[in-house]
Amino acid sequence: MSGVHFVTREIGSLAKPSWRVKAFAGRPIEESDLAEAERWGKRLAVNAFERLLALLRGGELGPAELAEVDDWAVRYALALLERAGLDVVYDGEQRRTEMYDHVARHARGFEPRGTVRAFDNKYYSKAAVVEPPRIDAPYDVDEFRFVAAATDRAVKVPLTGAYTMVDWSFDEHYAGAGRLGASSEHRYEARQRFVADVAERVILPDVRGLVEAGAGWIQIDEPAAATKPHEVPLVVEGFNASVRGVAAKKSMHICFSDYRALWPAALALEDCFELQLEFANRDSRALGTRDEDRPGYAETLRLFRDHGYPNVGLGVLDIHSDYVEPPELVRDRILYAADVLGGVERIQVNPDCGLRTRSWDVVYEKLASMVAGVRLAEAVLDRAHAGREPA
Amino acid sequence: MRAFVPGIHPRSEALVQATRDLDRGRTTSAAVAEQRELDFAAFVAAQEGAGLDLLSDGMLGWQDLFRPLVEAARGLDARPLTRFLETNTFYRAVLVEGEPRLDMPLPPPLLPAGRWLATLPSPLAFARAAGNAVSAQALAANVLAPQIEAYARAGCALVVLSDPFLAREGGVRELRAALAELPGGVPLALQLPFGDAASALPECAELPVDAVGVDFYATSLDAVPPGFPKEIIAGVIDSRSSALEDPAEIGTFALELAGRTAGGVSLAPNGDLQFVPEPIARRKLAVLGLAKASLEAAA
Repeated sequence: MSGVHFVTREIGSLAKPSWRVKAFAGRPIEESDLAEAERWGKRLAVNAFERLLALLRGGELGPAELAEVDDWAVRYALALLERAGLDVVYDGEQRRTEMYDHVARHARGFEPRGTVRAFDNKYYSKAAVVEPPRIDAPYDVDEFRFVAAATDRAVKVPLTGAYTMVDWSFDEHYAGAGRLGASSEHRYEARQRFVADVAERVILPDVRGLVEAGAGWIQIDEPAAATKPHEVPLVVEGFNASVRGVAAKKSMHICFSDYRALWPAALALEDCFELQLEFANRDSRALGTRDEDRPGYAETLRLFRDHGYPNVGLGVLDIHSDYVEPPELVRDRILYAADVLGGVERIQVNPDCGLRTRSWDVVYEKLASMVAGVRLAEAVLDRAHAGREPA
Repeated sequence: MRAFVPGIHPRSEALVQATRDLDRGRTTSAAVAEQRELDFAAFVAAQEGAGLDLLSDGMLGWQDLFRPLVEAARGLDARPLTRFLETNTFYRAVLVEGEPRLDMPLPPPLLPAGRWLATLPSPLAFARAAGNAVSAQALAANVLAPQIEAYARAGCALVVLSDPFLAREGGVRELRAALAELPGGVPLALQLPFGDAASALPECAELPVDAVGVDFYATSLDAVPPGFPKEIIAGVIDSRSSALEDPAEIGTFALELAGRTAGGVSLAPNGDLQFVPEPIARRKLAVLGLAKASLEAAA
């Protein structure tokens, strides 16, 4: 058995299967959709997947049938992640519309405003806060319970963070009038009140409900964390207020940002197990473990090393490309990280971010390759520790 | 007091859906182009209806501030997805794979000669997006200059050079050298979207441009040096907020600003309107027109 073991995980979202999308959109399920359901059912050895095929062939899908379809989408997503070899899984956020919209539609105080482009032909829905937001009850507990019952792997629950909810929302309540030419202090104070309300009145009650239901690992997703460097302290305040007093492992995921802005504020994160960051997107595809081979990793890993807190969830898969990173490339990225950090204790391995923009074929290949690369890295490190060769 | 809307305009819900369908193989490029033409026509009509002085094409085919130029130029490519400032919108950073050169400029928009404006990246912003792997001066001389010349020949009345980085990172001296490479056949404006321009403004007064665009939702009015010699394109419509501005408040602000400058004032959003959904952008555009009209009526 390997002496070194890196825990492998996904980050969050997967694409929804076409049969799930069409079922909920009220569009006809075509033979090609059934063929996909059958192909993946067989490939992933999904237990009793023939019942899904029968359901999809059964004609009109009412609320009860749609709920079953949702359950099947979760079973398929879990199977995909399990067969790819991950240690820690969730459901690919199959029941959620999208990370921002999922929260906004469950909380009072947000009103939808329309679509904004993220990049290329990708968009997200954006709402405006019109009054202090709150939830009536935890909204992810049923989702978690289903996942926990359907897998024997460890489970990590991804939740959109308070700061990102604030940053991705229009503010029609806190900023108030007199914004034209207003002071920066006025703007900061309004944001601070908004973050605190989302953290304490929306995220924390949901987290408490999840942990009471048995969730052992809460991942707070803050892709907006470093977009306004002077507001990183608000990200930290939001995280701490969202998980304060909660008896579970807590971590934070951040991506596509200038990570230099995170420290030293990140040192004030309370009981944050790790930061899972995107690295591969900005890295070379060449093999090697020298600084010049790993431009996407060098600077940020040194921040982790120099500040000593928290641990790193090492993104090794570019989620915006169909390019399947070879195991050797994954290996070298991990070895490089181990070298910079001076050991393996602070490293676990994941994709850069959720993989929902990739097809399941690409996702499976990427994740399987990631796991293979992890095993290669572990073997190299084991040999190095045994004194047979340098890592 | 002129008013206009530079930059990338948001896509209508119909165009959003068309492009989504294109990515999913459910429609054709021709169908998307047809919807884009409808968006273009609607945007031009909205600008004319609001009484704006210069028309923009809304850059509805531009994926980001750099991409069409990158794709049209030799020696450049676009790959790593990079966050655009403090937004949840991304651009693809520019990869330099050879000496950049634009042999075939992008076609001008179908707008009446002498009445339209174009938006391009400032040479400094272009170089920043390329990780400074090529100089702003080289990009100005070999990529932006031929594009501006082509626009000038087609009757462009104003080229707005958008620089989202200058207010944050500085670099006025480098920019000045790059701007010297640009042709003089069309007025140039430097726009500093989504940032506090206080520290950059004094030096911007010396740049070879005709106007400077300032985001007054991030910049205090007091930051404008008294007697500022160039036209200020006042960012008085907040492109990052869904809340509608008050035309009267804009009017009051604009008059106060005009009292501080020697080069005149025009009105615009503080950055690309693509950061709000299209229906909100349409209403904000109308507010801009109302503000301009109220100022004219008061005069």
